[in-house]
Amino acid sequence: MTASLGRSLILLSLLVSTTGTVLGYAAGWKRSTDGLRWARRFAFLFSFLMIGATLVMEYALITHDFSVSYVEHVGSRQVPLWVTMVSLWSSLEGSILFWGCILGVYIAAATWLTRNEHVEYMAYSIGTWLFSGAFFSYLIAAPASPFGTVANPPLDGPGPNPLLQNHVLMAVHPPFLYLGYVGMTIPFGFATAALMRGRLGQAFLRPLRASLLLPWVFLTIAIMLGGWWAYEVLGWGGYWAWDPVENASLLPWLTATAALHSALVMERRGSLKGWTVTLVQSSFLLTILGTFMTRSGVFNSVHSFTQSPIGPTILVFLALVLIGSVTLLALRIDSLESDSRFDGPVSREGVFLVNNLLFVLFTFTVLIGTVFPLVVEAVKGRQMSVGRPYFDSMVVPIGTALLFILGVGPALPWGAATREQAKRALLPPLIGAAIVAALGLAFGVRNPWTIVTLAFGGYAAQVTMKEMWLPVIQRIRRGDAVAGAIVDSQLRRGRRRFGSYLVHAGAVIVIVAIGVSSTMRTQQEVRLRRGESATVNGITLTFTGTEEKSEPHRTSTLAHFDISKNGKQITSLAPRMNSYQMMRDPIGTPDVYTTVKGDIYLSILNIEGDSVGVNVILTPMVGWIWWAVLLMGAGGIIALIPNRAARVIVPQTQESPIGANEVAAQ
Amino acid sequence: MKIARFIAAFLFATSLLAQEVKVPDAEQFVGRPEGQPVSGAMLDQKTNETAGMLRCPVCQGMSVADSPSEMAVNMKHQVRELIARGYTQDQILRYFERSYGQFVLLKPKFQGVNTLVWILPILALIVGIIAIFSMMGKRAGGQPVDDAPPAEGAEGSDDPYLAEVRKLTGKQS
Repeated sequence: MTASLGRSLILLSLLVSTTGTVLGYAAGWKRSTDGLRWARRFAFLFSFLMIGATLVMEYALITHDFSVSYVEHVGSRQVPLWVTMVSLWSSLEGSILFWGCILGVYIAAATWLTRNEHVEYMAYSIGTWLFSGAFFSYLIAAPASPFGTVANPPLDGPGPNPLLQNHVLMAVHPPFLYLGYVGMTIPFGFATAALMRGRLGQAFLRPLRASLLLPWVFLTIAIMLGGWWAYEVLGWGGYWAWDPVENASLLPWLTATAALHSALVMERRGSLKGWTVTLVQSSFLLTILGTFMTRSGVFNSVHSFTQSPIGPTILVFLALVLIGSVTLLALRIDSLESDSRFDGPVSREGVFLVNNLLFVLFTFTVLIGTVFPLVVEAVKGRQMSVGRPYFDSMVVPIGTALLFILGVGPALPWGAATREQAKRALLPPLIGAAIVAALGLAFGVRNPWTIVTLAFGGYAAQVTMKEMWLPVIQRIRRGDAVAGAIVDSQLRRGRRRFGSYLVHAGAVIVIVAIGVSSTMRTQQEVRLRRGESATVNGITLTFTGTEEKSEPHRTSTLAHFDISKNGKQITSLAPRMNSYQMMRDPIGTPDVYTTVKGDIYLSILNIEGDSVGVNVILTPMVGWIWWAVLLMGAGGIIALIPNRAARVIVPQTQESPIGANEVAAQ
Repeated sequence: MKIARFIAAFLFATSLLAQEVKVPDAEQFVGRPEGQPVSGAMLDQKTNETAGMLRCPVCQGMSVADSPSEMAVNMKHQVRELIARGYTQDQILRYFERSYGQFVLLKPKFQGVNTLVWILPILALIVGIIAIFSMMGKRAGGQPVDDAPPAEGAEGSDDPYLAEVRKLTGKQS
């Protein structure tokens, strides 16, 4: 009953989205306002059906309706309610349905927010969104159907993948990733519409940029959550392994970041339009490629839990979109491009170009490294690997260069800088560079790459801080109240600027923390009997014994350790091994003690009677990465909030004080 | 019965011990050690470094250094033993390549088709640099057309809001 209700909703949404696609493109072609109105209605209807189908699935999960095939596949009466609820994205069929649901929410929101604006582009945009919607409806309806009917429903099911149950981060990482991935559909639709129209007006930049920034924020946080999860669960003390699936999440992030920067040049200078559109198209294509990589089972990876028949279908969609995008770009890119004007390499524009070059190079390198083994295997029939040592040696120089221009870029003015201007902008931050590098030396950093990273980081930090607070300082000097100047400059009218520099500040911390944590880590395997101690790098751990814990869905063995430094106990840690009914091998869960300086990370290798083998990993600054990425996300959100007040008060005289405008705006 | 179990356990334990140090045919495959024997903390560090260059053959894309699987643990012990005997990283990688093929090398060798994976990004860099220079060159040839949006007289500044603040505070920078 529930299964057939779900199936009907999905079939309807397939019908609605295909019709809506045709309607949207036809309305765009004919420039018909009636057609556009109908396309909008179809967009809302599609969203309604998708969200409805997802709610039906959630209902089936929560009520343990094992007559629905997906529930039979992942449901269990033994697991806690939150696990049951997040089971929606624990396996392939459900996660594709969840994808459809998020796509529905995005399409409805984008259609609603543009209801009175950008009429010229909207029909094509909606057509493109619904085209993507039609593809995913088809996936849910046929090859990855979660709504099959089970003839003889069992009384209980196996429960979701134990990795999902093992850590709460697995419950939040996928939604963020999907919000990032699926969100790229919206700017893709806008960019495609601009290409179809053969024009990209100044006013249309706002929705394009905003629709790119929101999924960018989600994707940024999702990538971090994925790394954090790996760190907290996998037990090897790292957060990034250059695994194909990790790379899949990074690729669209890189192109989207490049696009956000080139969009700024587009906005200020009217150039790089075709290029920005190309980057937006690429970001969407890379999300589809990522889905293929994650979901088709062609890659060996810790993350691709599912082997499935949807690979070929996604590949066909990928090929269609790729051919369509390339054709459109080839036909229309010239009509977008106005006469580009660049005032020389030592300028803000010059740095933006270098920024884009580096991000695209980064993307290209990661893409090559990820798909190369597949190509070699397909062509030459022999297996090879491209792993961490390759990526480290290729990507570290690019990352360091990015950190360098992160410092130099914002210091330079738009337009050609005179020698005097360049000197005044570029020399003072050397102080910051020297201070941070000296701090590093004082804390024992000796690796030359790390020192360089610290120096670039210090340089970038000083520039970022200066640019971030400049408007506030100037207003305070003029005699404005301190609180008023801060609130108005950073959170009201200068919000976008402030948000961007917050993102930069976060990025500086992330890159420095990655550099320090990867080069300064200590790792040692020790074996201890009960009561014995070992000392690693000044940290003493004492094994005090094991403990068994039993929960309905799993049993765990904990090993207790007291951690002390200089004879004083600082904490106790209890890494554990969890055994689930479904899994043959137990899953280890490390235990971590985090301080500002660094982490103490214990992970069990094995337990034999009275003795335990434990991996002790000491990593400085690693915790900074998670929080700095959240800072980046917060900056993105602050920059995203539309600034309606500022738009209302455009006509104004030079004499009017800023305070008066605020009153007028309210 | 008890004795039989004891013997079995003893055999198992000795087999484990034997396995730890067994590095079959190392000398035959890659010759005599070319480096100095290593011990202590340096041995740990070098073991992790070299094990990080090797792919665990039975895992899902993890390195020997990171994987908890039995096979990876054994390989790691072998790496450790070889380093302790004074084999260089290069020799050790060649040793494992003999046994498992190029598949175990996480850093592809610079030979055959594999060179592409190293060269293509560098080609891309060169193409990108040329593209940027040609864009810069455009300015000399073309007429400067001011199609930038009139951002409240913010020409030469970096954003409208800052320009406004500067205008009001009478600062030019």
